Amino acid sequence: MSRRSVCFVVLLLLAAPLCADAPGVYAITGGTVHPVSGGAIEKGVVIIRDGLIEAVGANVAIPPDATVIDVKGGHVYPGLIDAATSLGFVAAPRRRGFGGGGGGAPAAAPASQAPETSPAFLAVREAKLSDDDVEAKRATGVTTILTVPSSGIFNGQSVILNLGEGSMEARVIRAGATQQVSFTPRAAWTYPDSLMGVISYIKQSLLDAQQNAAALAIYNQNPAGNKRPDQSASADALAAVLRRDVPVVFVADSELAMRRAMAIANEFKLRYILSGARQGYRMANDLKSIPVLVSVKWPAAPASKEDKEEQPLRVIRDRQLAPTTPAVLQKSGVNFALVSGPAKSGEFIAGIRKAIENGLSSDDALRATTLAPARILGIDRQLGTLEKGKIANVVVSDKPIFDEKAKVTRVFIDGRETKLPSPEDTARRGAAAAADASPVEGTWRITVKTSTGDASITATLHVENGVVTGTFSGDRGSGSIRNGSIDGTTVEFTIAAKTETEATDWVFHGTVSGTNMNGTVSTNLGTFQFSGSKGQ
Amino acid sequence: MKKRAASSGRRAGVAVIAFFAAVAAFAQSRDSVVAIRDATILTVTKGKIEHGTVLIRGSKIAAVGPNDSVTVPAGAQVIDAAGKFVLPGIIDTHSHTGVDGSVNEISLPNTGMVRIGDVMTNEDVSAYRQLAGGTTTALVLHGSANPIGGQSQIVKWKWGHPVSEWPVVGAPRTIKFALGENPKSSNFRPPPGTPLQYPQTRMGVEEVIRKSFTDAKDYTARWDEYDARRKRGENPLPPRRDLLMETMADILRGNIDVHSHCYRADEIMMLLNLSDEMGFKVRELQHVLEGYKVAREIAAHGVGGGTFIDWWGYKAEAYDAIPYNVALMERAGVLTSVNSDSDELARHLNQDAAKAMKYGGLTEEEALRLCTINPAKQLRLDSRIGSIEVGKDADLAIWTGHPLSTYSRVESTFVEGEMLFDRQRDLQLRKDLAKEKSDRLKKEADDEAAKKKKDAAAAPAKKPEDTNE
Repeated sequence: MSRRSVCFVVLLLLAAPLCADAPGVYAITGGTVHPVSGGAIEKGVVIIRDGLIEAVGANVAIPPDATVIDVKGGHVYPGLIDAATSLGFVAAPRRRGFGGGGGGAPAAAPASQAPETSPAFLAVREAKLSDDDVEAKRATGVTTILTVPSSGIFNGQSVILNLGEGSMEARVIRAGATQQVSFTPRAAWTYPDSLMGVISYIKQSLLDAQQNAAALAIYNQNPAGNKRPDQSASADALAAVLRRDVPVVFVADSELAMRRAMAIANEFKLRYILSGARQGYRMANDLKSIPVLVSVKWPAAPASKEDKEEQPLRVIRDRQLAPTTPAVLQKSGVNFALVSGPAKSGEFIAGIRKAIENGLSSDDALRATTLAPARILGIDRQLGTLEKGKIANVVVSDKPIFDEKAKVTRVFIDGRETKLPSPEDTARRGAAAAADASPVEGTWRITVKTSTGDASITATLHVENGVVTGTFSGDRGSGSIRNGSIDGTTVEFTIAAKTETEATDWVFHGTVSGTNMNGTVSTNLGTFQFSGSKGQ
Repeated sequence: MKKRAASSGRRAGVAVIAFFAAVAAFAQSRDSVVAIRDATILTVTKGKIEHGTVLIRGSKIAAVGPNDSVTVPAGAQVIDAAGKFVLPGIIDTHSHTGVDGSVNEISLPNTGMVRIGDVMTNEDVSAYRQLAGGTTTALVLHGSANPIGGQSQIVKWKWGHPVSEWPVVGAPRTIKFALGENPKSSNFRPPPGTPLQYPQTRMGVEEVIRKSFTDAKDYTARWDEYDARRKRGENPLPPRRDLLMETMADILRGNIDVHSHCYRADEIMMLLNLSDEMGFKVRELQHVLEGYKVAREIAAHGVGGGTFIDWWGYKAEAYDAIPYNVALMERAGVLTSVNSDSDELARHLNQDAAKAMKYGGLTEEEALRLCTINPAKQLRLDSRIGSIEVGKDADLAIWTGHPLSTYSRVESTFVEGEMLFDRQRDLQLRKDLAKEKSDRLKKEADDEAAKKKKDAAAAPAKKPEDTNE
């Protein structure tokens, strides 16, 4: 059956405005309209026609052909824009043979991160959004996302999508919107496997693109007698960045990482955006001329009291001050948006609430999730406010959208009402997430049998889409888990193990069985056995 | 590479808490005047002054001499240091402190394109602890995993300052070379499935270095030809700019100083001969535990040696090490220093210097030079640091007794005139920071409890709301 005939049947059966092929005319009435372009309008009206907003106001005549939707007592907003996600990219390691479904035997191949990214990587071609992903996002009021993989150094060219129903082509707001760069070293023994190597690698890649562009320009004018330069999609992609046609998004959370990104951007005169920025509270004055996407995935405290007390004050202080970043940036006049970063859908709104609890006004939070990201991404003529002529992404919630008890009740994208997850969907998704999270999710007490004695390390691991993240602390210092992945029950991750004299990468390869994990650690002093057990 | 390190006790509350002094940036006016009165001043280059005064103006030493020869201007901060000693800030030419991420870019035989200076962090508490041991300047080196490692960085431990202020402005650029077991991967292996990395022998190490310089000469020639053709009015395609080759070419031009990790006499001679052959200068041999066997050759090449006084036998290539190495090299005319390769040893290099009086009979002043003016010369910064002289950077520490005594400790440490460590202030900071930590944890616990209570209270009210759809 074709899609169109499915729609027809659905229409006949339900007479519900769910068909993707019929944008239609709607009048949303009876609610408080928050257009963002101006103040709230009590009992306001929003008219949607053919996918666009036709009118917004208190005294708007309702067209005779409109379907009237009375949302009495509800709140009407422009769809939220989440300008930093990796939705649609299963960062799970590639499986050997027939990939996909779980339940099979763990792959024999060592886990490695997918997809293989480069500056030429096109998110628009590779993103595979599941209905679950999209609906979960809509349920938080998000109608537009930017997505790009989080793996690799050059994560690739992102795409901005409307989360309506229909094909990828129909969803695209802008392909190749940004070029994203992460300071993520590769696995040991693959250049670059250190942070300083990553910086050199990024600079060399930009230099190569510069050289390639200069050589091509001369060659195209005068091919005779000149050696033909290489044609490189990656160099072309970076040439666009060097011409400032495409902004670079640097993923950088800490002050030091942000400053490293700023140094590269200034050296190559890039147009750029900082993403992550959770230590933005420390350096608001230096961010005044830089668009910032603040991730609301705030640092979490360890579960146990003992672990909390063992953390240095520096970490505790940072955990408590990070959520003040939005309020601090707002006060300093920084151009910022709030993004989910690597957070799960449900955590986006909770993270925004935490920013509000830490001093950001609800109005500023709304702006930071609508007009501000639209401006930063250069799509504010199409999106970000409820104004005549803009794309009709409209969200209705029963209470003010950032209220703890608020529920998104209706979502229009490109002027079509879209499906929200049913309670069953949500329950099923929760169960799937729990299944996905196990068996690695949790706090592990790990003992490494090194040649100089046992080293005890506590690692708190978190899994999302096959990527293992988290933190570690113990006899070898503390820090973040890097290059983490899980494939079935095979887990792999790297820590920068610090001794008195140096920090070197320890690469863990282990197998999880219930609450036990065993395997080997590759270090600069040799390969050692480790064993771990999961606490509560 | 290093002697193995004891794991640092993470529960060592005192030390950890001292770390938080980071935030308490010790503001001090750039033009302030400090007078350290009535101390025994160990100038290192101009002898010992009993009952002497050091006058610091801004970041420089403005005057030094016997008490009655130095006029202390009105308004100066006067520190009574009667019975105490003043030593120039200790200089450590082998450090890995304050590096974010791995100190080794391990992936290639030559990683001269990477730079420690790009990844310095001011959040490594070890920097503060080193100030507490009187150490003020360090050469922060790339690791020794490959024959040519990354570019290194000379810094001062300006604790509490932005990391951008830590590099010594105008200091020479430096790079790490490494010979022997580590660069041929004897002491570590890649994980199963990853191929072994070239080189696997000392022969291979030599060839990596030789070939890198040969390639750099080709690279320079290519750019010279390009420039020549441009001058002739042609419009040739530009060659590739290669950060690694530019580094190698800069070594050949003398713009980057080579500090090479080494152990055995044969590999030391290999590097000296190779430097003659390829035309580059080795500034300092690091570790150089068999330096005593070829000390005259090292001295003849004008190469320095930075070594451990009494670490030996921790791997095969360290079996022939002797504690007399320092004295033997020094007496043979090698510019010699003691350095740390360790966050821990970096806090008491004065003691390693003192041991050179026992092992080999260096004089007091010769011993003091091992951790002050000699490393300053090895870093080519001796016009600015390494001794207490008028016009030099005011990097110095006040000691409770003679720094060559194991019973002496540091009271206060100044970097460019700013007191960045002070024992009394530290004691107070520990209390303040412990209080902040317990307050913050308490607030977190209270918030959590309040939220639980609120959730519990809200739970029964949920039912009618659910039916509201």
